[in-house]
Amino acid sequence: MSDVHPLDPLVRRWSKYRSFSTGDRNAIRELPYVRRTFGKDAYIVREGEQAGECSLILRGFAYRQKLLSDGDRQIISFHIPTEFVDLQNGVLGIADHNVQSLNHCEIAAVSRSAIIELADQRPAVRMAMWIDTLIDSSIFREWVVNVGRRDSRARIAHLLCELVIRLQRIGADREGLFDFPLTQEQLADATGLTAVHTNRTLQSLRREGLLQLSNGILRVLDWEGLREVGDFDELYLHQQV
Amino acid sequence: MQIFLQELEALAPLSVDDRLAILQLPMRLRRLDAGAYIVREGDVPKHCVILIDGFAIRQKLTGQGARQILALCIPGDAIDFQNMFLDISDHAVQMLTRSIVAEVPREAFQEIVMTRPAIGAAVIHSTLIESSILREWVVNVGRRNARARIAHILCEFAVRLEARGLASGEGFELPMTQEQLADATSLTPIHVNRVLKTLQAEGLISRQRRRIEFDDWRALQEVADFNRRYLHVTSEDEVVAAAL
Repeated sequence: MSDVHPLDPLVRRWSKYRSFSTGDRNAIRELPYVRRTFGKDAYIVREGEQAGECSLILRGFAYRQKLLSDGDRQIISFHIPTEFVDLQNGVLGIADHNVQSLNHCEIAAVSRSAIIELADQRPAVRMAMWIDTLIDSSIFREWVVNVGRRDSRARIAHLLCELVIRLQRIGADREGLFDFPLTQEQLADATGLTAVHTNRTLQSLRREGLLQLSNGILRVLDWEGLREVGDFDELYLHQQV
Repeated sequence: MQIFLQELEALAPLSVDDRLAILQLPMRLRRLDAGAYIVREGDVPKHCVILIDGFAIRQKLTGQGARQILALCIPGDAIDFQNMFLDISDHAVQMLTRSIVAEVPREAFQEIVMTRPAIGAAVIHSTLIESSILREWVVNVGRRNARARIAHILCEFAVRLEARGLASGEGFELPMTQEQLADATSLTPIHVNRVLKTLQAEGLISRQRRRIEFDDWRALQEVADFNRRYLHVTSEDEVVAAAL
């Protein structure tokens, strides 16, 4: 199925959660949006901002982060195409964290009022949006466990497993190869480790023949092995809903 | 159910009919002992559960058996709104104290949030705040030192309990043991004990059994790197501004 409309990937992802009528599908396609492009590490949303729009990724990666008063950074999630990076701002109004582009990134910016109107008029779409935010929460819970109670090897392996599954789900798997633009520093900030520790851990996962990671391309050589090291069980991604 | 209703009304204006619809939800009250599980990871829940009285924790175990506590549930919280639409529970919820919960059949709950927009809005709002708190917990265990982690969790509990009228600004009864605090902050119980003593020695808090008093609330927030924005509750300043 080829996409004729830039929002079709979103329609397809949401319609996995709930069966949509033609009217539902069209209502999503008719969402008014502005296309914005961001270079590497640009701010899409800043903490404390009154959010006027919600950003859907059309191309590229983005991440959510919070800065501590001493300047340390914790990355709290990564986002890939077909995902909204800040759907919650449609309801909460004030952004409680920052969102940055990870690489060259293309966003469909939808006004908050258009999101609310779509949710009001289309119960099935509202439910799909809702499921999206509930799955986000489940991922955050797993991240608390990951940085809280796993050792460094497991943390990195777990994060890689999660991203592989999510990338596969949007069809970004190129015969076992994945575009993987995350830097070691970003991996470190997502796992609560230092960059040096992250580097050492990646090297050991490589040496054990679990994966290859170079020039922004990830290849998983031993999925079962990586899963085991990562203590990874994909239940929390709720793909069965 | 009154406490749950109040919590929803704080998030979205409800009509008389909305209120009635909540009070008339089919439900069963259950008393649970401390330590009892209301839902386990992997369960297919049939109910949405609201905590009426008492405290509970969300938790997950790693493959090695280490426990991570993910949230403290306080009276008025829905324990598992996510089970409205997600079929399998991805974590366990365990009672910290003797508690009373209201169990509402999943379908009845789904129906009320889908057919009554104001209730739906309040419930969405509540799940999004829960999500925001989880993000802050990632930061807490990921990038703060032990002292800041403990101070942060104390500040968070204090603000949440106060917002629901369950504590005064001076202090509160901590419903957790030091071991549970350790599992919520990814520290060891010994480390938690040491940090609590330090905070006390520095004149930030005082403790009597489970009671925590804030002797220097401002300084504690500073140690914690605490900014209540992520709780999305109305701040004292806003309350004052609204009153003027």
